[in-house]
Amino acid sequence: MPDNLNGDLNVAVPQPQANMGQPVARIDGRAKVTGEARYAADIPLGNLAYGVLATSAIARGSVRDIRFDDARAVPGVLDIISYGDLEGVEKPTFGNVNQSSIGPLHERKIWHDGQIVALVVADSFEAASEAASKIRIEYVEEKPSASFDSAGVETMDAAGVSALFQEDPQSGDFNAAYATAAVKLDARYSTPTQHHNPIELFSTTCAWNGDRLTVYEPSQNVNGFKHAIATQLHIDPANVRVVSPFVGGAFGSKGPMSPRTAIVAIAARRLNRPVRCVVSRMQGFTTATYRAETRHRIRMGADTDGKIAAFSHEGWELTSRPDAYVVGGTETTASLYGYGAVRTKVSLVKADRSTPGYMRSPPEVPYMFALESAIDELAVALNMDPVELRRRNDTQVDPIKGGRYTSRSLMECFDRAAEAFSWARRAPEPGSMRDGDWLIGWGCASAVYPTNSAPAAARIRLFPDARVVVQTSSQEIGTGIRTVAAQMAAERLGLEISAIEVEMGDSALPPAPVSGGSISTASICSTILKGCDAIRRRIFQAALSDRAGDSAGPFAGRNADDLDLKGGAVVAPDGASVRLTDVLGRGGFGVIEEYAEWAPEGVPPDGIQKLYRGQNAFKSGSGGDRLSFAFGAEFVEVRINTYTREIRVPRIVGAFAAGRIMNPRTARSQLMGGLIWGIGSALHEATEIDPRAARIVNRDIADYLIAVNADVGDVDVILVPEEDSAVNPAGIKGLGELGNVGTNAAVANAVYHATGLRIRDLPIRIEKLIV
Amino acid sequence: MHPFAYHRAETGRQAVDLARSSVMTRAPQQASAQFIAGGTTMTDLMKLNVLQPEALVDINRMSGEPYDQVVETAEGLRFGALVRMAEAQDHPAVVRDYPVIAETLRLAASQQIRAMASLGGNVLQRTRCAYFRETSWPCNKRNPGSGCAAINGMNRQHAVLGTSEHCIATYPGDFAQALIALEASVETLGPKGARRFPFATLHRAPEASPELETRLEPGELIAFIDVPARPWARRSHYLKVRDRESYEFAVAAAAIVLDLDGEIVRQARIALGGVATVPWRASAAEDALVGQRLDEDRALAAAEAAFTDARSYGANDFKISLGKRTLMRALLETKRMEI
Amino acid sequence: MESDNMTRRNFLASTTGAAAVPIAADWLAGSPAHATETMPVQRGDNLANVTLRVNRQTYRLGLDGRTTLLDAVRDHIGLAGTKKGCDHGQCGACTVLIDGQRHLACMTFALMAEGREITTIEGLAGPDGKLHPMQQAFIDHDAFQCGYCTPGQILSAIACVHEGHAETDAQIREYMSGNLCRCAAYPNIVAAIRQAKNNMEGA
Repeated sequence: MPDNLNGDLNVAVPQPQANMGQPVARIDGRAKVTGEARYAADIPLGNLAYGVLATSAIARGSVRDIRFDDARAVPGVLDIISYGDLEGVEKPTFGNVNQSSIGPLHERKIWHDGQIVALVVADSFEAASEAASKIRIEYVEEKPSASFDSAGVETMDAAGVSALFQEDPQSGDFNAAYATAAVKLDARYSTPTQHHNPIELFSTTCAWNGDRLTVYEPSQNVNGFKHAIATQLHIDPANVRVVSPFVGGAFGSKGPMSPRTAIVAIAARRLNRPVRCVVSRMQGFTTATYRAETRHRIRMGADTDGKIAAFSHEGWELTSRPDAYVVGGTETTASLYGYGAVRTKVSLVKADRSTPGYMRSPPEVPYMFALESAIDELAVALNMDPVELRRRNDTQVDPIKGGRYTSRSLMECFDRAAEAFSWARRAPEPGSMRDGDWLIGWGCASAVYPTNSAPAAARIRLFPDARVVVQTSSQEIGTGIRTVAAQMAAERLGLEISAIEVEMGDSALPPAPVSGGSISTASICSTILKGCDAIRRRIFQAALSDRAGDSAGPFAGRNADDLDLKGGAVVAPDGASVRLTDVLGRGGFGVIEEYAEWAPEGVPPDGIQKLYRGQNAFKSGSGGDRLSFAFGAEFVEVRINTYTREIRVPRIVGAFAAGRIMNPRTARSQLMGGLIWGIGSALHEATEIDPRAARIVNRDIADYLIAVNADVGDVDVILVPEEDSAVNPAGIKGLGELGNVGTNAAVANAVYHATGLRIRDLPIRIEKLIV
Repeated sequence: MHPFAYHRAETGRQAVDLARSSVMTRAPQQASAQFIAGGTTMTDLMKLNVLQPEALVDINRMSGEPYDQVVETAEGLRFGALVRMAEAQDHPAVVRDYPVIAETLRLAASQQIRAMASLGGNVLQRTRCAYFRETSWPCNKRNPGSGCAAINGMNRQHAVLGTSEHCIATYPGDFAQALIALEASVETLGPKGARRFPFATLHRAPEASPELETRLEPGELIAFIDVPARPWARRSHYLKVRDRESYEFAVAAAAIVLDLDGEIVRQARIALGGVATVPWRASAAEDALVGQRLDEDRALAAAEAAFTDARSYGANDFKISLGKRTLMRALLETKRMEI
Repeated sequence: MESDNMTRRNFLASTTGAAAVPIAADWLAGSPAHATETMPVQRGDNLANVTLRVNRQTYRLGLDGRTTLLDAVRDHIGLAGTKKGCDHGQCGACTVLIDGQRHLACMTFALMAEGREITTIEGLAGPDGKLHPMQQAFIDHDAFQCGYCTPGQILSAIACVHEGHAETDAQIREYMSGNLCRCAAYPNIVAAIRQAKNNMEGA
């Protein structure tokens, strides 16, 4: 890896360009570097008992007999929750918040490897662990179906089975267009099972105070969890509080609520003591969600100029027997380029596995891998630069429904990234670039992510000393939402960011949607914007009637529209200015409070009410008359040893356009993180499932490979200025998942360029390059 | 994890006595008393309930002998078994005279683990086979006679050399290959006193008894590892091939020590890692090199010779080819070293 | 003594002295136990008295012998800054300094850490709250996102500099690879370490 000679440049803090806010440091930075930041399992509670899960060693069948004698004999064991102990607890319903419909202790049926069979509670973690290992189970075993090729799987059309995926996008006559195309491509691709593996372990801590329950749990959806657990336990949601002040990484894994939460709640109620259950890394592989494996068949027909006249994308996704989880990435791929005719179909394959869930860019990562690899293959077949091929098929109009993109800077991203990467120096012939014993390959791909948003609520309080407190139940999972929320308030109220305090991660606060779908910045900032604008109106009203003693105030006779808030003062264009604290003081205010509820345009009227019931009425960038997407382009260099075929990625350049960038520092970090995920997605990550037993074999974070520091060389993130006032009032496009999309294809394309080997099945590992 | 009695040994003699004084209540392969130094293997496997010792004898404070020192003599280097990997990896004599040792240490695990782990414990580390580490699978090493889940299972990381129908688990360490290639010897302390034997005889291939991994006797601990003086060991190198750049066990590895006269190989010592059930001396490869000019063809011939008897099991078929390529590349890189 | 597990094969294996791992020899010979042994005082409640020095403070704890240093620090002393990411020495989130060396607290039994100076993340900032240069550098370079691996990264980084393993970017990356960061803040971590190194004493 080359040494970085720019030691003086702080690349982590990019200077803002047009339509970008300041790259301020995270307001929770001090808490994180001092250990003061408390994550869910850090919160001290008196009289805490410790819970440890026991999980099944089979994937399909049932529990014939389960014995606790040896477990109970362990000194310190207080209770064991198992079959029959969840009387009165509803089974979870799949969709929206619950990860699955499986109630693991409601019935003795085993649906998947590592299913919860008991929770042991003891007065020490060590005693609970020992006891959990001493539970004796006899199973009735059935032969499980592990994955796509296993006997006994069930295949069905995805459209209509899932509330979220209703229709396979289509347009025109694919067969006819494909038949007459001059150049054809017909290729199959696959992506493996992957797991989020955030560094923070899953956990649930429950404490009852009378009939009021507090749940401390890392969560991307405290408001949703509150209602979901209340429903399961048949209690009033007003008596439930879910607290998750800091989340140690989520990537989708902490959005769905697992059945563990109800089980721990019951344990705590039975014992009348708080119970903390930390899920082991191993158990995290089977008791939470994951990205399911997928398969694809892509067909493209193009003319010799590269115009794609026919595009077909068939996808197969794995799910559990009871739950039809679909990601349906054809909704993205079908609209991405200016194709002629389009045909798509997504099929679901049910196997004896746990229910998958969303994992960073859920549809885009697998489906764009297939599409962006196919585009590269087509470029090779046409003997055309892959950037040029995309340029020829760029579009501002959706080929399926004809709607326009609100903004689309795809090719500008390609041009900026290509230049920074020195793409023009590429020798196109595979295997033609070398450095000693290392083959060099360069590849590129498109990144795309829909601009979603959802209803949210926030409370903003302005105190007489010009301090502000912003409250909303949104969740800080590492994106920097706390900071950008503070920035939005600071900006609209003309204050320093140090004057803004943000409270998040608590369902007692005004409800906010799940921290998923890259909606948070857009939704929360739009809500805060709305609230702050209401506060501004009240301040300006006060300023207009403000008097200094007996004489008319400095703003007498003016218009509220002329006024602004800057630098802690109310200001007018001609320079007249009064300190905000003076306006507030003379105006007789105690606290100015605004409670703002915001919903995206086009969301049905009950969207906000749904929020108060723990549901999120998403507005998707891919639905509607106009499409709203963020775009990007990634360029990757790989180096492959000619003898031993290790694949290394010394540099990546990504350029992204995502509307208004609230904070270039945190935005860059998100995109950089996504790009690095792309390396892992292409080269390292794969959950191995033993096909005989349908059991996960590499269930720890040594055998499940994620990128280490030494895997990462130069990562150059270019923020491309873009304005789009149509997406939402704040003009923000979500980008937390954008950098992760397409990067795996860029790596695969680079591998092809280095070796001439087209690897269509991820991960690309040494053995696939030894021929 | 099961409860255990904890004992601290102040001397080597005491360590041995403490181990033998513990009451035995289980089958021999599930030893009742274990020594613990850095603890990186022990705590890991105890948490998995793969090991359930009734007593742990903490040997970190053993004194009276240079257990925690690297001593240079005219005969070579003597490593005390309690020397931490991190200390040995940067020791000037190691770096200067036995680069292969420095590399096998530096490329192993992480710096945190190397700061904790003792050399004696390192060479005794257990396999990373996922079926061994998860007690709900049958495993002949953990539970003799119960079967091997890896042979027809997910065996990408498993061995292609030294396997038997009972076990194909890979020996995962790195340092051991340097010791094989340098023909080190081991001095132990046990109930019958001290003894010495070649390091190459420490580990046992699984054959019919995969639960028997070493020739150590009950209550015997490694006290010293001696590496003989070998001036030509300055031209030595360890190549470790892995999927990611660091913090991963070897997919394939080769330790090379070359005595070159120009391009002619006077002597060669080769040990392979990541591909065998025990630290693997590749004598046939050495024989293919001696007296020959080391070029790409000769390196390939040596590599072929090393894997003649290799046997693969499906997901690890590629290890035969990769093992050869690793050996080839390591030879050529060792040749290119500027001494 | 259980005899039901003794098969003839196991018996033979033991008597040939070729056991895989050391076993107590006296199950065969019945030799008397030796009295000389040293260990922490076992209390009547199955706990052991363990004294730990953490951040220059002395803590006297009653611990289950199995308690790791990580759980002792978090649950028994109440310093929750050190994090559990895997509990098996695979992620580095639990990195602490023991006598200035970086160790994994999850792989250390608390009673084996007696008599040693342990430093956790809470022990870095000055009494006036002034941040250690490494802490400040992490903030300056946005070297964290979710922050969960951060305490381990910072302690590991401090040791990395003191070890002399922060001379080049490549060396920093390699020697910091024992600390996983799923948010992938790696490039910013490397930049932070470069800055901190310049500001640290003895770097």
